[in-house]
Amino acid sequence: MRTKNQKLKVIRLFAGVLICLLAAAPAISADASIDPVPFVYQNWEVFYKGSNGLPNDHIFSLCADKGVLWVGTEGGLARYEKDEWRSWTKADGLPWEVITSIKVSEKTGDVWLGMFGGGLVRFSGGRFDQFTQFNSGLVNDVIYGITILEDNVWVATAAGVSAYNTVSGQWQIFNEKNAPMEEIWCYNVDAADGKVFVAVWGGGVLEWDERTRRWDAHRDPDREMEIDLFRDDGLIHIITTSVSYTKGILWAATYFGMSRYDGTSWRGYMDHDSGLVSNFINFNISPDGNTCYAATDKGLSVLCDYQSDTWVTYRRAAPDVKQWTAHMNRGKQEIRVLKTNLTLPNDFVICAALMGEDLWIGTGHGLARGTGQGYYPGVKPMMKGGLQ
Amino acid sequence: MILSKPFQYMTPINTGVLRKWCVLLIMVLIIGAQVDARANSKTVEQNYGKTPDEYVPYKKFSNPYKKFFLEPNEYLGYGRNIPEPDHIDTIDIGFLGPIEKTVSVATGGASHEEDLGKKMLLGARLAIEHANEHKGYRGKGIPFRLVVRNDNGLWGASANEIIDLAYNERVWAILGTIDGANSHIAIRTALKAELVVMNSGNTDPTYTETAIPWAFRCITDDRQMCYLLADYVFKKLGLSRVAALRANNRYGRISIDEFRDAATRIGKPFITELNYRVGDTDFSRQLERIKALKPDAVMTYGDARESALILKQIRAMGLDVWFIGSDRIVSDEFIENVDGSLEKVIAGHPYNPLSRDEKAVAFKTAFEEKFGESAETFAAHAYDGMNMIIDAIEKGGLNRAKIRDELAAMTTYHGVSGLKRFDPIFNNISNTYLAIGNGNQFEFLTRDQAFK
Repeated sequence: MRTKNQKLKVIRLFAGVLICLLAAAPAISADASIDPVPFVYQNWEVFYKGSNGLPNDHIFSLCADKGVLWVGTEGGLARYEKDEWRSWTKADGLPWEVITSIKVSEKTGDVWLGMFGGGLVRFSGGRFDQFTQFNSGLVNDVIYGITILEDNVWVATAAGVSAYNTVSGQWQIFNEKNAPMEEIWCYNVDAADGKVFVAVWGGGVLEWDERTRRWDAHRDPDREMEIDLFRDDGLIHIITTSVSYTKGILWAATYFGMSRYDGTSWRGYMDHDSGLVSNFINFNISPDGNTCYAATDKGLSVLCDYQSDTWVTYRRAAPDVKQWTAHMNRGKQEIRVLKTNLTLPNDFVICAALMGEDLWIGTGHGLARGTGQGYYPGVKPMMKGGLQ
Repeated sequence: MILSKPFQYMTPINTGVLRKWCVLLIMVLIIGAQVDARANSKTVEQNYGKTPDEYVPYKKFSNPYKKFFLEPNEYLGYGRNIPEPDHIDTIDIGFLGPIEKTVSVATGGASHEEDLGKKMLLGARLAIEHANEHKGYRGKGIPFRLVVRNDNGLWGASANEIIDLAYNERVWAILGTIDGANSHIAIRTALKAELVVMNSGNTDPTYTETAIPWAFRCITDDRQMCYLLADYVFKKLGLSRVAALRANNRYGRISIDEFRDAATRIGKPFITELNYRVGDTDFSRQLERIKALKPDAVMTYGDARESALILKQIRAMGLDVWFIGSDRIVSDEFIENVDGSLEKVIAGHPYNPLSRDEKAVAFKTAFEEKFGESAETFAAHAYDGMNMIIDAIEKGGLNRAKIRDELAAMTTYHGVSGLKRFDPIFNNISNTYLAIGNGNQFEFLTRDQAFK
């Protein structure tokens, strides 16, 4: 028989243990809580002229087509497949060496090259066919972007948009005469689901509906160059540089930040209010509507998950730092910094492409591939400390 | 009792001290806040483009979520690491301007800027010659060479020409151009090719509002000229009913913007804004409508010839109103076409062409001796712009990015068109002049002189 005192001691002991457990619980939880995090590319391989077969280190455009990567540079074209490189310059029949855009036709397999001053080129059957403003309906030879929608190759040029029908051979030209272009300097073009979006420098984003054959314009509602009046009232700025349209979501890049439009609402992102590292965006690409890759002058910022506002930026912490780091953000707040083995000497990112699970980036000096082994889209719950 | 005494004794004294301390603390806080406010007021950012408070967009309604152009454009690319060439025979600098007469879609029909472009070319040539008289690049005997291209051709010709200059001619920098559309096309191309474009003839404010770290401008823009004009028209002259009749091209549409916005923001919007086609000679249809509105002033933004014809027809209609023009009316062509009094005629002007500044006088003399004609704004600014490029090459060496850096570092420059001051986005925000008609000539007044 336990005495009353003994019973009290046992009760006290249990109570003490319980209190200790309750006190320790938050600490244990904090250390091992579930934390939704994105995939981070930490393993990279770099490619330069000469050592890897690139014709030039100034990378202007990338196009991933199944297992093949096409690279447009300031000094020629390159093709990468299964660790094998091949390149073309003027000596190989390439009409002009500065290539700012590449697209591969799913239907025919033809490779279309947008030349910076050399017009539009079709690379097919080992032959380069050049379309210029003198021999075709191309409105200008200075091309910034191309895309393909069904049978039409859409071309964004310094003087408007041209569309070439590869079946009929007919051209359409769109400029201030027949489209709501306040300016005619077109910087990029993307298409999907019967729609074509054009980034018009100084003219916002134009939307072409193939079914109705009509244009709509998206512009900065405040109509002022020097301000953004409200954050989410529309396109951030009319100086647009790139567009990406996927699954009904439009992502528009500018030199003043990035905008997302779901057909109803706009959302703006700038370097002071989000994980975007710089407002100066050269190019953007969204593979699924939820994720968007922004190639900026200070690295590659990836909005990995729209809902949780989770970002990863790949950049150098300072100009003299050799190795890039991956900076994970939730909104503006940096939550983790991870090491990578990426050593490109410059983080002025000009273009990006996704090939399978791998991420490719082209910069002002060099090309790199991030190995996506174990890649997953968006974010995934993970024990804290699960990424090193 | 023992405890309560000191308590009772201390309480009233403590309260009094506390009150005094509180008062003192509040005074310190108030003074501190005022000092802090004064200190902050010194660091308060200037409005972009020296915009007067009453002309700041949406100022009366809301603070913007984000202000742009208050920090310098940065270039963060790889260009500075590109080695200089081992050997070079000439230091090539591109020139892009409207120098050949064409019928162009880009210019809205018949070309109209060749006279301006030719003056600009002569100014650039003179700068090159003067540099070469001093043994060229760094005194090494390597001459500077001008590679000249016309931008007045096919739609987007300036883009093609920039490509040619960047990749085939391999120039170190470019001076150009005049037309607003061509200027924008040029800098977009130059951005990709990473090549400096110094603009000396395009006054479109949006030219530098593009965040392109390769675009520079040495001529004061229409933003500055329009602010001065608006102040003068509405505050000095006390006018309120201004009718606009402008060219139906990009120059007319964009360059009048800041005046229109300023007028609207102080509650005196244009009573009408009509336009005409470049090359028109009869403006009676528009002027009849304007006359019916009983304006105080008619404002036009367009070329010298059309502006002169508009003024003549206004006067012929018996409309004795102020005539407000762009800087392009400050020209021999305008004066000759008006062929009469310039009373009640005003325009903004980027500099004082009658300046007795030593540099200005020497330039005008040299220009006239060399070319047998007088220098004007396009010649003077081209001379300055080219000299700024040459200075940057001398300091930065043969590397396009370093040349850019040297230009970006120039916050002021004393040229033949006066002392220039540049804002963070490399735009010339120097004070402009008011050109006021007197007899059949223009006088040039500073803001202070104009408002005396």
